[in-house]
Amino acid sequence: MTRVIESDICIVGAGITAAMVAERLAERTDASITVIEAGQRTASLTERTNTRARMLAYGENPYPNDHIPDQTGTGAMYRQMVVGGSAMHWGGAIPRYSPEDFRLRSLYGVGFDWPISFEDLEPYYQEAEERIGAAGEQGPADCDPRSKPYPMPPLPLSYNLARMRDWTDSAGIPFWTQPWARNTRPYRGRNVCQRCDTCAVCPTGAKYTPDFAFDRLLAERRIDLVTRTLVRRLTLEPGTGRIASAEAVDRDAPDEPVEFRADTFVIAAGHAWSSHLLLLSANARFPDGLANRTGNVGRYMTGHWYVSGFIDLPMRLYPGIFTNNSLLSHRFASPGALDRYVRHDLRLWESNVGRAPRLRNDDGRLLWGDEVMADWRERNRTGATARIRAYYDVLPDRESRLTLDGAKTNALGDPMPRIDYRPARASLDLEDHTHDTILGRFDHLARAAGGAMMSTRTSRLWEHPGGGCRMGDDPASSVVDPWGRTHDHENLFVVGAPTIVSSGCANGTLTFCALSLMAAEEMEKGL
Amino acid sequence: MAESRRGFLKQSVATVAAASVAACAPEDGRNPPTTDTPPAPLPSTTLRAVAQAILPAELGDDGQQRAVAAFERWSDGLEPVVELAHPYLVPETRYSGPDPRPGWTAQLQGLEKESRSRFGRGLPDLEIPTRRTLLTRAVEQTGSGLGAPANANHVAIALMAHFFASPLATDLCYRRTIAKQQCRGLDGATAEPGAAP
Repeated sequence: MTRVIESDICIVGAGITAAMVAERLAERTDASITVIEAGQRTASLTERTNTRARMLAYGENPYPNDHIPDQTGTGAMYRQMVVGGSAMHWGGAIPRYSPEDFRLRSLYGVGFDWPISFEDLEPYYQEAEERIGAAGEQGPADCDPRSKPYPMPPLPLSYNLARMRDWTDSAGIPFWTQPWARNTRPYRGRNVCQRCDTCAVCPTGAKYTPDFAFDRLLAERRIDLVTRTLVRRLTLEPGTGRIASAEAVDRDAPDEPVEFRADTFVIAAGHAWSSHLLLLSANARFPDGLANRTGNVGRYMTGHWYVSGFIDLPMRLYPGIFTNNSLLSHRFASPGALDRYVRHDLRLWESNVGRAPRLRNDDGRLLWGDEVMADWRERNRTGATARIRAYYDVLPDRESRLTLDGAKTNALGDPMPRIDYRPARASLDLEDHTHDTILGRFDHLARAAGGAMMSTRTSRLWEHPGGGCRMGDDPASSVVDPWGRTHDHENLFVVGAPTIVSSGCANGTLTFCALSLMAAEEMEKGL
Repeated sequence: MAESRRGFLKQSVATVAAASVAACAPEDGRNPPTTDTPPAPLPSTTLRAVAQAILPAELGDDGQQRAVAAFERWSDGLEPVVELAHPYLVPETRYSGPDPRPGWTAQLQGLEKESRSRFGRGLPDLEIPTRRTLLTRAVEQTGSGLGAPANANHVAIALMAHFFASPLATDLCYRRTIAKQQCRGLDGATAEPGAAP
């Protein structure tokens, strides 16, 4: 017998974008809200002291049961399927995209313009920062525009980072403190950061994780959170394009189907599982999947690549003071006019690479006890290491795709997602130029300190990924409108990462949240 | 699928443990321990004799004893084949390896046996340079890193890796109170770390 659960709003997924939508709608409307999560709850705040200790001691996953074994896709994607999603593990870096990210075609003749501008999104950036609790430092106005101050002061620059900023100032490149989703004062019932330096698992609650929002909404009886329930497909109302229900399986009672009925459905399932659900929901009227009349679901999967390195600095630093804070520069993400396109951010961290204790010296001789300590001290006596990384945007090709992988199914027989990322031709043509430019800036920084590059590497991992349901004004080339509403189904929204047009050159979570809040405002109008 | 992988790895534990013990197994025919029964504590006296040879002398006897005790607590809490913290954007699950402790126990037993065989005395009664000679022979195939202790292929390397990863070792290296990965509050972050006591 089918169990039916009805509400005004049905949100699929319980990650950070779902938390944004649920929180805003709960505050501003009387709508009944159901949030469905395929996974379950993981380590609560009180349990994180212990799981942190075991992570430090043994490398164990600090969030037990944060995924579903047979829900594993292929390609670079997050594995978390849990209340809180991938924002349980995150470090909490929350830079904004740059205004240029939204106008690449107009400004530089590459990629695509978004259907919205930075200015359109700016109020929602601010709202996301206030909901999350952002601690940040205002950077130079021309490359860090904002209309209001951060909700909280920045994390203090550690002794190490202050010395490094003296160095970067001498190089003529402005750096400022990375904005973080970590409290520098008590905020919304959560503690102040205690500099435990294991931000992937924060034992004090100073780092924002979405479970805090869900817990509050549950305590206020403003949402229903249904866990361990996997949505397998969305169905249509007969004769209309409206979504009628989400059909799901209770993982604890798989023989008892669950049907969620609502006026409005919101897919907040991240960059992989959102497109996946739409494709799984194919029916006779939409044989290629819901919201996919023009064949754009699963396309333009995007992310950014990076160049990184380690710099040998002739200064005395003390690795370990605060490795989870960093310096940030968006100077080259807002570069002004360019002869040839290249944009990237810059991040700097303290590091002990090349200066950690070791078992053998440069001659290969085995060291014991005092020799290890003496060797370690000597390699730190006159120098230090800085880690540097530059994210640069990669323009996605239309064939950068998420598809259903019939060769890999879950226990229910549903095909799993497979992502085959592909850069646009323009990005491939620009790759050497991009690397040369970034490496030149690394070298400039190193020489300004009288130091030298120790090593560099390039990565094609599609970090902070998104796409698959990209936004646009034209249904022929997009899946959702600027407010996340699907072109094909008036009561179906997709929010967050899937809707982005390109990934910019900064961590994406804050942008995903801002887009979700903008969509939530649109949903409010229909309630 | 992940569950079956875990099952496979668990099945492998006994095999690998047996193989690692067999290389220097005692000759009394005892079966090597498996994960079905918690491994016996590491032979304490021999472990401390090893520690005296491989931990910094500046720790002093008390400091070395504390380092060994911390290692023993860590070893007691180790669980083989558990899910590891996963890398960024990797959907597959990774598990820790088989239990290294049976092999480490056998290594300590082997060191003690070799000491008695070659020098007519137990390891604790050997001079420090002589202990290091035995240890150097035992670990000569190791690389240059001090990685995760549980991955060490010799108990001496595991003990060193455990100590040198500690906040205390970092503070000793820099002779400053850095207290890495301790929850220290934000106030002290901006100052140059004070001299270590």
